[in-house]
Amino acid sequence: MQLTQAGYRTWDGERRSPWWGCWSLVRVGLMLIVRRWVFWILLGLGLLNFLFHFAFIYLKATIVVQNANMARFLDNYKVTGSGQAYADFMFAQATICALLLAFAGSTLIGSDYRQGGMVFCLSRGIGKWHYIVGKLLTIAAVVTIVTTIPALILFIEYGTLSNSFAYFIDNPRVLCGILGYGAVLAVVQSLMIFAIAAWVPRTVPLVMTWLGLFVLLKGLADAMRAIDDNRYWLLLGIWDDMHRIGRWCFGSLDESTIPSAGWCVTVLAAICAASLGLIVRRVKAVEVVS
Amino acid sequence: MIESSTGSSLSPLVELNGLSHFYGKFQAMKEVSFAVAPGAIGLVGQNGAGKSTLLKLLLGLMRPTSGGGSVLGCDLVREQHLLRGRIGFMPEAESLIPGVRGVDLVALAGELSGMPRQQALRRAHEVLSYLELDEVRYRKCDEYSVGMKQRLKLAAALVHDPQLLLLDEPTAGLDPQGRDSMLRLLHAIASRHGKSLILSTHLLGDIDRVCEQVIIVDRGSILGVGRIGDLRQHWRNRFRVRWRGEGTPFVQSLRDAGVAIEESPRPEQVLVDVPADWNNGRFFELASQHGVTLSDVVPEEEDLQQLYHRLIGS
Repeated sequence: MQLTQAGYRTWDGERRSPWWGCWSLVRVGLMLIVRRWVFWILLGLGLLNFLFHFAFIYLKATIVVQNANMARFLDNYKVTGSGQAYADFMFAQATICALLLAFAGSTLIGSDYRQGGMVFCLSRGIGKWHYIVGKLLTIAAVVTIVTTIPALILFIEYGTLSNSFAYFIDNPRVLCGILGYGAVLAVVQSLMIFAIAAWVPRTVPLVMTWLGLFVLLKGLADAMRAIDDNRYWLLLGIWDDMHRIGRWCFGSLDESTIPSAGWCVTVLAAICAASLGLIVRRVKAVEVVS
Repeated sequence: MIESSTGSSLSPLVELNGLSHFYGKFQAMKEVSFAVAPGAIGLVGQNGAGKSTLLKLLLGLMRPTSGGGSVLGCDLVREQHLLRGRIGFMPEAESLIPGVRGVDLVALAGELSGMPRQQALRRAHEVLSYLELDEVRYRKCDEYSVGMKQRLKLAAALVHDPQLLLLDEPTAGLDPQGRDSMLRLLHAIASRHGKSLILSTHLLGDIDRVCEQVIIVDRGSILGVGRIGDLRQHWRNRFRVRWRGEGTPFVQSLRDAGVAIEESPRPEQVLVDVPADWNNGRFFELASQHGVTLSDVVPEEEDLQQLYHRLIGS
């Protein structure tokens, strides 16, 4: 037999820390997602919104030079370079991202449960925490690519096309807002989709559960608010809670009729803790039954 | 320290002390204690005997409920990551990542075992060539045949050059040719490249071909551990007798002399159980009296199948 005649070489290099394995999981995970056509369709949708904003900012900068009145007319539209404008942009991007994650969750997490990818990973030199962190970072990277990075590009464009660089100096809160809202979206969505995909690994049930969670809870929150006229019912809408924290990061949250950012942070922190608990429990279970 | 086949002392490959494991209330491992020397070791038992549980405990994937032990000198409970970096595991289940190319999957296995990216990739190419998967290395792993998948799993287990391979049913699902090829490969890895391996299977033939030591598990207990040759029972009173010529009168004369005869499916051969006071010279006397020529009188030895059934009491 040929193969037993072939040479086998030993390897005696130095082994790296298992935390490097997280980066390997992120790289392979992103590679898996970008090979799916669904990703490119949804990314294309997100890109349309981004391109609209990008072109609008450029158009506005050009018109300001030629016709100031026309520029004031364009200010009626929301692309004003203010914190509220970026919050709305990121909210729209995050909606597309939620759709994307519904499919990516099945590829990244669900298939590991269905087809033994988790046993493949956990039987190497990494532990369950390295695996969990690697997968969470992969999802967070997807969220960042779709939400935070386009917002940062628009921020840089807006500042660069203004007459001076004063925009960057005058609006540090906008930069903090983009990074803060981006971080909230990345952390909450990655923990939630991991927890749901770990327990509902098949694609269709996962998509239904994930999207249903946002749509139904928001509907329930609105309905309860209408019945009871208590603004704290709005905390049930997880999606809106993230948006409120985002607007608070941008400094544009009006807390007079809606729950304060502190309440939203508390609710989301509880959801994140519960999600992490479900993830750890599920990873342990797979260690036993695989 | 335990003694090797050549009589020299070796550090044990695996040493377990009173190791138990429960799944809920079900005790899957019952205070198991043993030590085995490095080499090719078969882990044999019926379905549900506890083979896979033992492998997962040895790999550090699960913590034992009580007791402990060491593998390659690493503590099973405290040094799980270090341990897995030095062990290659080939699970029975498919355990691949769909959509990933063969070479990327093997390189990922190397990276997760602590290898730097470039070295893992280079080593993945080498190992895939060694296992004759070089022509399909760029194909997605879910498009591989069953035999290819088994080799791919072996490549992923070998990529970081582990000292010990844990193989869970490596020939499952293979056709006879693929099985033969896999067993030759495992034998070569163990004998030529000095790797220790623990081969878990319920196919005794696989163990007979590859391993020199065996661990026999039944219902969570270890029934026998050691070199297969040492465990086999040497029956002092049992012989295999072969001859040339008309043997019927010879066999009858043996019966008359108080020898128990067990007919063999092969002609001119029987298995005999002789009385305690028997002198082997009588075989030749009786053969000479009945005009047959004895070609073989060899003490009969237990085969692995008989050893296994004797130990599990069936």
